[in-house]
Formats: sequence, structure tokens, C-alpha cells
Amino acid sequence: MAETELISAEALSKRFAANLVLKQVTLSVTKGEVVCVVGPSGSGKTTLLRCLALLETPSEGRVTMSGETISAATSDATIKRAAKAVRADIGMVFQHFNLWPHMTVLENVIEAPMRVRGADRASAIESAEALLEKVGLSDKRDAYPIRLSGGQQQRVAIARALAMNPKVMLFDEATSALDPELRREVLLVMRQLATEGMTMLVVTHEMGFARNVGTHVVFMDHGEIVEEAEPETFFTQPQTDRARRFLQQFED
Amino acid sequence: MTSYQFRWDTIPQNFDFLMSGMQMTLLISAITLVLAMLGGLVIALLDMSKYRAARAAGLTIGEVIRNTPILVQLLWVYYVLPIFLGININAFTALVVGLSIYSSAFIAEVYRAGIQAVPVGHREAAQVLGLSPSQTFMRIVLPQAVRMTLPPLAANFVQLIKYSSLGAVISVGEITRRGMELSASTFRPLEIFTFIAVVYFFICWPLAMGIRYWEGRLARR
Repeated sequence: MAETELISAEALSKRFAANLVLKQVTLSVTKGEVVCVVGPSGSGKTTLLRCLALLETPSEGRVTMSGETISAATSDATIKRAAKAVRADIGMVFQHFNLWPHMTVLENVIEAPMRVRGADRASAIESAEALLEKVGLSDKRDAYPIRLSGGQQQRVAIARALAMNPKVMLFDEATSALDPELRREVLLVMRQLATEGMTMLVVTHEMGFARNVGTHVVFMDHGEIVEEAEPETFFTQPQTDRARRFLQQFED
Repeated sequence: MTSYQFRWDTIPQNFDFLMSGMQMTLLISAITLVLAMLGGLVIALLDMSKYRAARAAGLTIGEVIRNTPILVQLLWVYYVLPIFLGININAFTALVVGLSIYSSAFIAEVYRAGIQAVPVGHREAAQVLGLSPSQTFMRIVLPQAVRMTLPPLAANFVQLIKYSSLGAVISVGEITRRGMELSASTFRPLEIFTFIAVVYFFICWPLAMGIRYWEGRLARR
């Protein structure tokens, strides 16, 4: 195991009733990597991400963070303690933003630092303002989410996740719910994060992002990893028929 | 009808007597609403408990209350409960207790609907950020659920104003009872009960309209 390995899935399987949606998936993300997971709908990408975010418990296998097990099919006290300790180090951005509608933009961003990290209000606000500036939404700090466009909401959601200083950021189809003209502003923020060295695991349908920003591409189909490669290799010389067929859809 | 001599002056002559009954009606409704909000919370918590026995208890209580007539429940609280408990319960207390129990079962459903209406994603966002289950409930779920719960709670208040008229049967001096007493002494049931119906209407109708408007506004958010 590489020393810089941050978060990884080891032989992860997930079953929903009779459906096996993840089959023995092993994947690790090292510090500073931007791993893009692509594949058709229903290929298990989102389930994989949700397992890593500790929102789903795997049916088999385990999730580790810096080498320590934080989730497994049967959980014990040690795993629970480890999970609690690193919980907030794993940031996640959802397809549907999931901002809290009864709080302003600023309140959304400062909530977790204050309640979970115990930050005092003044310093939480100070960091939140810096993050809102970074995502280009300083002027919206007192607005309620309902007043924002989808792209703006997603940028707030990114700022909210960043406020916890996560070690890794998971993006679950962060632009899929957005109109095409609003995707760009979100992708730009994600790109900027990557440039700054943030470790990222990005489930996406944005092939341009995967190719240009990703450091590694993982192609999933039917609950398993079919192909893994450097972006340039994957997009120019896919090794499997399944990957070739998948990529053909994006060619016109 | 043509031969009937209306005596509407019966109303102003006994206005204070009738209005003291209306005050009683509103007092009973208000006290009952508060008690039922607490009782509803207990039943809702039982319903959503992680313990099977608690859920079974909550479910049973709710089903029994919702599927028996409120008048029977009131009579039961007034006549039967004192025998069980070996205590005296005056009519006012019996009415408040009976109405509160009845209303609790419905308010529990209101709470449950409010909590379930909060999207799962909002909870997951809190969970991913490290908020504990109780922080998630208090900070994320409850404030949103309360907002959705307020209009139906107000609608329950309207229900209570109307149901409190059943207190007349166990001789609680609310407005309907006052009307019965007055019509017995003046022989003017037509004027009196018409007036009382109008009073109920002009209290309940604006409330109901206000609630509809309020719900419409919430739905647009």
C-alpha cells in the first residue's frame, strides 16, 4: 500500500435486495489525484461513491482512509470510532445540491464548522466568506438557496463541503442536474480545486472534464470496474469493447 | 314558517351570557391544542421509535383513537375513567382531556408527515458533514418540519373549536351548552341556535381561509 494512499475501496460489493450493484470493486485514490469515474447509468458509480462517503454500508469488503478501516459489512466499535474520526474529512457534493432551504447561504456554510469542529462564529464566518469569494458568490451570502440558480446552489454546496477542510472531495454527478449553460461555472470551480491540489473522486458524465482535469479515469459498467487508465490513454485507446461503445455515444 | 314571530331581541338581551360561553369555547380549544401538541409529539416519537414495542404502542393508541367516535371517548373519560382511577373528574377537565387525547392522534400524523416531507438528501448532507443524528434532527429536520406543520396545526385548532361543542353533552358551559340552557328558558331555539351557528362560522371560516392562503404560500417556496 502506497504511503500517500488516502481513501480506498477494497473488494467492495453492495447488494440491494436481490440486486448486486457493486461487484468486488477495488479502487484507491492517492493524495492529489483527481480520479474520474465514468460509465453508463446504473453502472454502480454512485453507489461506490456513497459507500466511500459512508452513506451506504457495503455488503462485502471495506473502505479505508489512510489505511484504517472506516466501513465494512460488519461494523465493530473500532470501525465506528475510526469512521467518526474521519467522517468530516470526506467532503461530498451531491447531484441535487441538498442545501438546507431554511438557512441562508452563509448559515449553510458555517453550520458544520461550528457544530462539528467547534469553531467560533466569527472565525467560521471569516472562512466562509473566503470560500464564498472563491466560488464567486460573495454577494449571495445572505440569500436563501431558493433565490439561487442551480449552478449557484451547487457552488455554495462546494463551499459548504470545503468549509470542513476535507482531505478528499467526492463529487456525485455534480453537474447532471444543471442546464448546460450552468454546468460551466461549476466545472470551473472544480477545475480550480484540482489545480490547487485537492484530492478528488469525481463521478461524472462530463468527458471533457475527465479528459482534461482528471489524473486517472475509471470506467465502470454493471457494477464492476472494466477499465482504468490515464485519461489520454482511456479516451484515445480504450482497451475493451464496452468502453469503446460507451465512448462512441459522445462522439457526435 | 309564515306564522312564526321572530324574536331576535333574545340575542342582545342574553349577549353576555352567550359570549361568556364563546370565551369558554376558545379557552377549551386553546388549552386542548397545547396539550394535544405535546400528546401528539409523544405518539409521533413512539411511532418513529427504533424499538418495535414502542412503535406497536404508538400505532395501537393512534388506531384506537382515530377509529372510535369522539363523543364516545368523551363520555368514557367523563363517566368511566373516574371509576378506574378512583378520582373525581369535573366536566371541564374531562372535556379537555378527552379532546386532547383525540386530537393527539391526528397531530401525531401531522408531525410524522412534516418530518417525512424533509428530503432524505438534506439529512445525508448533514451526515456527510459530520453532524450527529441529534444535531441533524434539531438543526436540519425539525426547523423544516415545523414550518410545514404549522398550517395543519392551525387547521386542528379550527377542528377543536367545533368539537368542543360536544362538551354540551357533559354540561361544560361552552357556547353550545349556553345556547341549550337559554333556549330551555326562553323557548327561542331558532334564534339562539342560528346565532350560535353564525358565531362559529365567523370564527372558523376566516381561520380556515387564512390557513389555505398560508399553505398556498408555503407550497410555492
